[in-house]
Amino acid sequence: MEATDVKELEQAKTPSAIKVLLKELYRDKLALVSLIFLVLVAAFVYGLSIFLDQDQIVTVDLFAINEPPGEDFILGTDYGGRDVFGQLIIGTRNSLTIGILVTLLSGVFGIAYGLISGYYGGHVDNVMMRILDFMNILPFLFIIISFVVIVPDYNTITFSLIMSAFMWMGIARLIRSKALQERELDYAQASKTLGTSNFNIIFKQVMPNIVSLIIVTMTLNLAANIGLESGLSFLGFGLPESTPSLGTLISYATNPQTLEHRWWIWVPPAVLILILMLAVRNVGEALKRAADARQRRG
Amino acid sequence: MAFLEVQDLQVYFPIKGGIFNRTVDHIKAVDGVSFEMEQGKTYGLVGESGSGKSTTGRAIIGLEDITSGKILFDGKDITDKKTKNKAFRKDVQMIFQDPYSSLNPRKRVLDIVAEPLRNFEKLSKQEERKRVQELLDIVNVSPDSIFKYPHEFSGGQRQRIGVARAIALKPKLIIADEPVSALDVSVQAQVLNFLKEIQSELNLTYLFISHDLGIVKHMCDNISIMYKGRYVEQGSTADIFENPQHIYTKRLIAAIPDIDPKNREKQFHNRQKVLEEYTQSYNDFFDQDGLAFQLKSISDTHRVALPQKG
Repeated sequence: MEATDVKELEQAKTPSAIKVLLKELYRDKLALVSLIFLVLVAAFVYGLSIFLDQDQIVTVDLFAINEPPGEDFILGTDYGGRDVFGQLIIGTRNSLTIGILVTLLSGVFGIAYGLISGYYGGHVDNVMMRILDFMNILPFLFIIISFVVIVPDYNTITFSLIMSAFMWMGIARLIRSKALQERELDYAQASKTLGTSNFNIIFKQVMPNIVSLIIVTMTLNLAANIGLESGLSFLGFGLPESTPSLGTLISYATNPQTLEHRWWIWVPPAVLILILMLAVRNVGEALKRAADARQRRG
Repeated sequence: MAFLEVQDLQVYFPIKGGIFNRTVDHIKAVDGVSFEMEQGKTYGLVGESGSGKSTTGRAIIGLEDITSGKILFDGKDITDKKTKNKAFRKDVQMIFQDPYSSLNPRKRVLDIVAEPLRNFEKLSKQEERKRVQELLDIVNVSPDSIFKYPHEFSGGQRQRIGVARAIALKPKLIIADEPVSALDVSVQAQVLNFLKEIQSELNLTYLFISHDLGIVKHMCDNISIMYKGRYVEQGSTADIFENPQHIYTKRLIAAIPDIDPKNREKQFHNRQKVLEEYTQSYNDFFDQDGLAFQLKSISDTHRVALPQKG
């Protein structure tokens, strides 16, 4: 068979999962707008932060304390005379990075854990699920707070790692229940009789069949994880002020003076985080519908 | 030495219950089955649903855990899962009942048929594609369709893709678990004749699991009738159809429909007679639990679970 023939055949394939997802997004205008907004914000924030110097922005300037928005500072300054706009850009970048990193790290580990547990079943499943139950009952806020004290170099990477260690259980449980179903299906059994190794059956045969579930869950987790970081930072156990994030900016509002008179410090990050989470959620919901043929609009 | 020998195979499924999820009882899916197979022949395994015929096949290939008993393949003991090594996996393949679920919906035909090849043979992409196209050609599926997905095929085509996958490694034994029960009658004949064709070409041995006596008669050299996890009768096709000894077999054979309306009355009376015999001698042929007795040889090829009293 000639190479051209092969190429033509490949183009004649049925719509792939990705195409269905894109079609669903296109039908759901709100989700489409959300996606475009997300891409723009991400591009803007990551692009602009290359030119901004984090150390310079977080340096205290006593001559420019609590300036309202004006010519020098687009969004004014905070109580340390630091440019709020610069902090907002870098903070959004940090928050997004943490959200994505935590989602990926906890997702990858949780998916592998759930697949292995569900696929093998029996005693393996029992032991792995009891370990998961143990992780679940740990008071993770308390432990994160302890870590904050112990870890000397506290930045986006270490914070993501600590958070991921406590965020993988939900997705692991979900994937495990699906893997339990899939392993009983004939195609998985057939692979066994064909001499395929368990590792290959799990990751090459079973996983592609639950990929839509994985995409949907990870997207919805992303929204939750961005929020969680801000929540922790707001409580004072997230990132330090030297690493601005949306949460640290909002936490300035714990000062009644700031809350009442200096709206420019906390309103923009609060609005931004609200819109970000909503947008991610909209996209996630559209993906969720795309994964289920009965709910599709497209 | 037999090609495949099964000795007193038992497969029990535990029934869990109670507070601590203990095993309270067992379902005896396969309860003491023994048989031998010779190379190049087709062995039928017939029984009503739930009689353990599929479980027997799945236990041989290693999809079910064996409670006790022994399976010898080419003289080697392959009872334990760990002893089912690569050579065994290559020599014994399975055709599944449901062509809609036995092919991974996310994989292209190329990947599906090449899966066993990738596990056992190191082929270049070009060689692999060529082999897959040859196999598809053998099973009468257009070799151009290697980039299609399973849902783009009809049931018959899918089952034949399943067959192509099963014969890719040139196995010695194929366990066919109701390979045509999900197909249209017209397609059934197509697949069955095709299975017979490749049997003589590749000197295949089939363990043909089915509940359709007509198909079994057409396909098999040797037939075993199974009931509640035990064999009730075993013999050559002629033995079973011309000279059934067990009442259960007699009833099964009486139930084969005859399409000639002239024989309708005759058939009806015949069935009535067999039913009467069945109800009358039920207690002779089955023990208190409704299970069949041990098989006894009544000729060189024919073994029947006759009443203990004789």
